[in-house]
Amino acid sequence: MLSRVAASFFWLSRYIERSDGILRMLKINYASSQDAVREFTWEPVIRIYSGVDDELTSKLHNDSRAVLSYMVSGRNNPNSITNMITLARENARSVQEHITRDLWQCLNEYYHCVKDPSINQRLMEDDPISVLDVLIKQIMLYYGTAEISMERGQGRSFMNIGKYLERSIQAVDILDVKFGSVNANPDLLTDTTYWKHLLQSLGGYELYLKTYRDGIEAQNVMELVILNDDFPRSVIYSANNIHRYYDRLKNESHLSNHRNIAFQIGKLQSFIQYSSAQSIRQVGLHQFLTQIRQDLFAIGTSMNEHYFANY
Amino acid sequence: MYKSAHFNDYNAIKGVWDEMYSENSTIRDHYQKVISYLSNESTDNLNKKEELARRLFMTQGITFTVYNSGEGIEKIFPFDIIPRIITAPEWKLVERGIKQRLTALNLFLKDVYHNQFIIKDGIVPIDVIYSCPHFLREMYKLDVPYDIYVHIAGIDLIRDEKGTFYVLEDNLRTPSGVSYMLENREITKRLFPDLLPQCNVRSVTEYPTILYKNLMALSPRRISNPTVVLLSPGIYNSAYFEHTTLARLMGVELVEGRDLVVNNHKVYMKTTTGLQQVDVIYRRVDDDFLDPLVFNPKSVLGVAGLMSAYRKGNVAIVNAIGNGVADDKAIYSYVPEMIKYYLNEEPILKNVPTYQLRNDDEREYTFANINTMVVKKTNESGGYGMLMGHAASEQEIDDYKKEILKEPRNFIAQPTISLSAAPCYLQGALQPRRIDLRPYALCGPDGIEIVPGGLTRVALKEGSLVVNSSQGGGSKDTWVLM
Repeated sequence: MLSRVAASFFWLSRYIERSDGILRMLKINYASSQDAVREFTWEPVIRIYSGVDDELTSKLHNDSRAVLSYMVSGRNNPNSITNMITLARENARSVQEHITRDLWQCLNEYYHCVKDPSINQRLMEDDPISVLDVLIKQIMLYYGTAEISMERGQGRSFMNIGKYLERSIQAVDILDVKFGSVNANPDLLTDTTYWKHLLQSLGGYELYLKTYRDGIEAQNVMELVILNDDFPRSVIYSANNIHRYYDRLKNESHLSNHRNIAFQIGKLQSFIQYSSAQSIRQVGLHQFLTQIRQDLFAIGTSMNEHYFANY
Repeated sequence: MYKSAHFNDYNAIKGVWDEMYSENSTIRDHYQKVISYLSNESTDNLNKKEELARRLFMTQGITFTVYNSGEGIEKIFPFDIIPRIITAPEWKLVERGIKQRLTALNLFLKDVYHNQFIIKDGIVPIDVIYSCPHFLREMYKLDVPYDIYVHIAGIDLIRDEKGTFYVLEDNLRTPSGVSYMLENREITKRLFPDLLPQCNVRSVTEYPTILYKNLMALSPRRISNPTVVLLSPGIYNSAYFEHTTLARLMGVELVEGRDLVVNNHKVYMKTTTGLQQVDVIYRRVDDDFLDPLVFNPKSVLGVAGLMSAYRKGNVAIVNAIGNGVADDKAIYSYVPEMIKYYLNEEPILKNVPTYQLRNDDEREYTFANINTMVVKKTNESGGYGMLMGHAASEQEIDDYKKEILKEPRNFIAQPTISLSAAPCYLQGALQPRRIDLRPYALCGPDGIEIVPGGLTRVALKEGSLVVNSSQGGGSKDTWVLM
């Protein structure tokens, strides 16, 4: 497979996964903004997905519609859904003959859907949740189409590595920001709605209720999001999947390169696996998450070096 | 009289060959079935079909992107839902004519880059060839596989008021549009269920298979699975959709210049497992951009060192480099003589009479009759840089004349041919519009094959004679009957 094509697969997938994360986040945050939560703020969302930009935060203030419009169709926001789906489509377009026609058409339709001016108009004037639902559904359609139509080969492995890398980075970022806010405002630690929303935006609320019977507690939330390997958005689940799909590239790789990256992935996997809520508390959550983030970035860089960047 | 009004007020243009109507205003036999099918559809229904066609093009991404103030806008190449129909005898003539012409043009290219007998025998003047910017000395004495230079040709045909076919242009470099031949047919299948088999329309789906077979046969390495690639300028090229379609249908790798590298006069592509040798390149990049070391040094679309690999015979390039000398508009007028010279045959397809403005008497004649002439630049295509004498203002003509006098070699003139017209479905009614025809000929070691069909381009503006997409043209599905 051409290096450029592999890189396109990887990035196509990352953009989609990031869009998915953002959309779910927006949906839950918007819902909670309607919930008369004490001191509801969009600040963490903006911080996670647009970096720290005080000017921007104060400009958008706490106007939900303005934030939604900026995050979904903001032209100057590199992480807006419109911009990311455009990039995903451009990546797909340059590998059109490697993905199935169904998948291409699905993405192409998505692109035309987000480009439609009525999306922004409805976000500003209508019920935003129904707009976000349309956009979220398109992504589910994309994942379904990819799952049933893509050939089980290298291309799909690169796609999935990109997907899980992106997903784990997001989970780490969200935890880091959400727990970070607790330092400034210790009351949050016992605010169950705060944690409930975090779980909902990651889609882990139901699983949490089934796993922990004694109400919502910050420690358990952390444990679920990092260590529960049945939770598809947990860090360990993503790390296991990066390992799984990377392993499949073995036969089509230079052995020494492969061993190199396999080592990095395995090390990260073990690092998470052999941690417990208690040990994480001992090193400090922020410290722990920073370590994981670094390792994830390093894997991305190595992929780039050994598989994509030789052009 | 038909049920639906839109068929009753079709006014064929006077003095123009109409593909559907004969002189005495009856519908030609080969259009009967289609028209009776369409006449059972209400205007509403046809409008819906038009909308369906538009949507299909859009969702399948059969679009090109126009970049305007940083914002990409997706455009569709306009499609008219009424097919253009060619009868079996008409097609037979076209097929024979193109095969003959292509055979002669291939011989000409071999000759002009080797012994140049045609110049020595005084058939084509030496200055016409040497003044052509597409005549490349880099190709001199270079042997190409099977002596084939033109592997893919898109020869443009038009019909005059009597219905006679003429060759308007030989596109021998990187002719485009074949994906529209394939996609238009797919769309028609959706728009008019059952109509194609009822009408005995010949299939065009063989095209990618034949092309792939020909490409494989050119591999310099005699191995069972040579690497064939399609070289595209990238996603910002307006024909990118076509590149991906062809790559997908043939199952070959679509590459860009940055994916390739030349080492020790061999071409490689960069893959996740290292370098892989490339044997055949179907390039959709112009000569000038292919190799920055030899041609345009600013090009980033090509591959440094490609020409050296080509000269060494380590890679086959399709179409060959330097073909522009054979489809130059100044050389065009010598093609009938080439056919006689190389094949000792009479040309089956006529040329449009062409005046070389570098000859004083022909230039004077052109200037005197400029109102009935079309003047074209020899090195331009796509309908750019043309003067349509009958439609231009005095001022435009004067300006153009001045430009001609600066460099007369770069201009030719042709009498304005009244292109044939075909019915189009526009604003809820059938209206005649001017059309041309571009069949795609594939030349391989086993000979020349032409897929029965092609691209019919149509000038959608009323009264317009220019069918190029850059000038407001659209396309039609093209049917060849059994």
